Amino acid sequence: MGYKIEETAGFAIVHLEGDVDLSRSPTARQAILDCLQERQHVLVDLTAVTYIDSSGVASLVEGFQVSRRMSLDFALIGVSDAAMSVLQLARLDQVFPIFASLDARLAQTDPRT
Amino acid sequence: MANHTTVESINPADLPIPPEGAFRVIRACNTESTDAHQLGRLLERDPVLTIEILRIANSAYFGFSGKITTVSRAIAVIGQRTLRHIVLCVAMRDALKPGQLPALSVETFWTNALRRAVCARALATHTGLDDDTGFTIGLLQDFGLLVLFYLNPNRIAEWPGLAELAPDDRYAMERQLFDSTHDQVGQQLAESWNLPQELSLAMGFHHRHPTHDIDDSKTQYCHLAQCADWMAAVFTSADKRHTLSNCQALLDKHFGVPRVETDQLLSQTNELLSEAAQAFGFDVGDQVSYDAVIQQANMRLLEENQNIQEMNWELENVLKERDRVAAELKQELDLAREVQRSLLPTDSSDQLSVFGLNLSAKAVSGDFYDFLRLHNGKVAFCIADVSGKGMHAALLMAKTSSLFHCLGKSLHDPAKLLTMINREIIETSIHGMFITIVAGVIDPETSDVVLSNAGHLPVIRMRHYQPVAEYPALSPPLGIMPETLFQNETFNLKHDSLYLYTDGLLEAKITAQERQGKERLINIFGKYAAKPPVERLQYIIANLRQHCEEMEDDMTLLLIEGAS
Repeated sequence: MGYKIEETAGFAIVHLEGDVDLSRSPTARQAILDCLQERQHVLVDLTAVTYIDSSGVASLVEGFQVSRRMSLDFALIGVSDAAMSVLQLARLDQVFPIFASLDARLAQTDPRT
Repeated sequence: MANHTTVESINPADLPIPPEGAFRVIRACNTESTDAHQLGRLLERDPVLTIEILRIANSAYFGFSGKITTVSRAIAVIGQRTLRHIVLCVAMRDALKPGQLPALSVETFWTNALRRAVCARALATHTGLDDDTGFTIGLLQDFGLLVLFYLNPNRIAEWPGLAELAPDDRYAMERQLFDSTHDQVGQQLAESWNLPQELSLAMGFHHRHPTHDIDDSKTQYCHLAQCADWMAAVFTSADKRHTLSNCQALLDKHFGVPRVETDQLLSQTNELLSEAAQAFGFDVGDQVSYDAVIQQANMRLLEENQNIQEMNWELENVLKERDRVAAELKQELDLAREVQRSLLPTDSSDQLSVFGLNLSAKAVSGDFYDFLRLHNGKVAFCIADVSGKGMHAALLMAKTSSLFHCLGKSLHDPAKLLTMINREIIETSIHGMFITIVAGVIDPETSDVVLSNAGHLPVIRMRHYQPVAEYPALSPPLGIMPETLFQNETFNLKHDSLYLYTDGLLEAKITAQERQGKERLINIFGKYAAKPPVERLQYIIANLRQHCEEMEDDMTLLLIEGAS
């Protein structure tokens, strides 16, 4: 089953959910990369993520790297506690722009302009 | 697709209609109050129609050969009902004359229609339904198709292709060509002409399942039309095997006609067709005999069986090939595993103060550890975990391990070493793969340690069985950003031990829902604190293996011992 993707305020929001592990991370990766290929700015919503393993994190890393090459915006929003502890432990919170919500992201200066 | 025809868009005024004289007779026949006398007078006003009716009524096919000489006699002998059907058939035959659609072979259409009619009549007789009603239904049931072509003359080139399809395929193709189908159009037409309900329903429901509000007697005629369609198609469709087997199945399903009786009905069809065609003034030409149909169907069956046999052989070969490739792959994997094992250090001794153990969950691993004595007497060490699993993780592991082993000999500052390795990795990193790593250097003489943790799990420092400090990651993993800054931590390890591990230890499942977790892991480290280093590693891993349900991930553990 694919993840829900919503287009709002100039962003494609990819809503990940549940366990993003070796079996589900290829779907997450494809969803994120598809949005970037369409030259969309991407926000990955991790609100409903209950577990994320290194392959899931790699999908986010790849999205981040591709967005940098394409000069597109890429950020994580609503990161759940389970996902945040993994990101903080690996100091990936220093890598990804992280916002509490879409509104919090929109309140920031818009790098797209 | 231009000029789509939908049922709703059809204007009855645009359609070919039966001659007015015939139309009047049909209407009169449909009215219960019309008596034989009135009907006779109506018919007499149209001498051409009268002659036609007398000719048909006297034909061998309708069985009144030479007995009927006047209209009133015709009505008396063959009855109002049969007469009505004969009139209707004549009217429909004349509704569309050759030339109205130049590219359409009207003769072929009516020959096929007549074949359906004789099939429907024969089956009606066989199953106790009214034979004249059956005949008329068979003749009219595909009239809607003529109308579709009449309204879409640009599609006329598709006619020969349609004519040789089986009914189900023809129906699907019609939908593609016209966005509409002959049964819906035909039913609408029949209703607008006020034809009897059993006729209009059979015209409308000989492909679709009759709806529940249609009573049983009329449903029987819908089924009769469906069967007649398949019976006729046995002679006209290109795929005779498929059509014949469907035809046999349908007659059995709707009327309980066994296969042998279906064969008998079909074998009489050509003779009946010739007689009926003669009655209606058609020349049907040479028709495919039922024996030839059977022969073609059998040939097709034989070909299919042969194809199945060939497919079986192919499948067998594919399976053999798969087994061969699997064996080769296993050999390659075994080799990869051996190469990978060779990358792990073998020189573990108390003098180096560093000890390691690796257990792979798969043939190849994404974890690794390494340590090497430097020319100044110090020992460089590292533990790392590549994101993801399988061969691509193993290859990245091999690359990182080689870089550490090569660059680590001359570069003794862990943060600088990781900066160098990171730049090399970034250049070839794909799919967002990254490496969490702890790299460090220990002086076995003084127990001074410098280490840099890049995105890896916190290093645990234990004094005997108690945890006394943790060294968490201060920077992100390798392979993500070229500009990452790595930081060192410096401390003295005297009297203490450092435990470096990969997530296979931390996330080992001890029940279906519960994972090992850091607290339990530290307890296990403490439990065997009194054991000598090499033995201690084995005990720890054995304990973890004993309690974890299934080893899902690689387990790698590195132990650094400070001087006592």
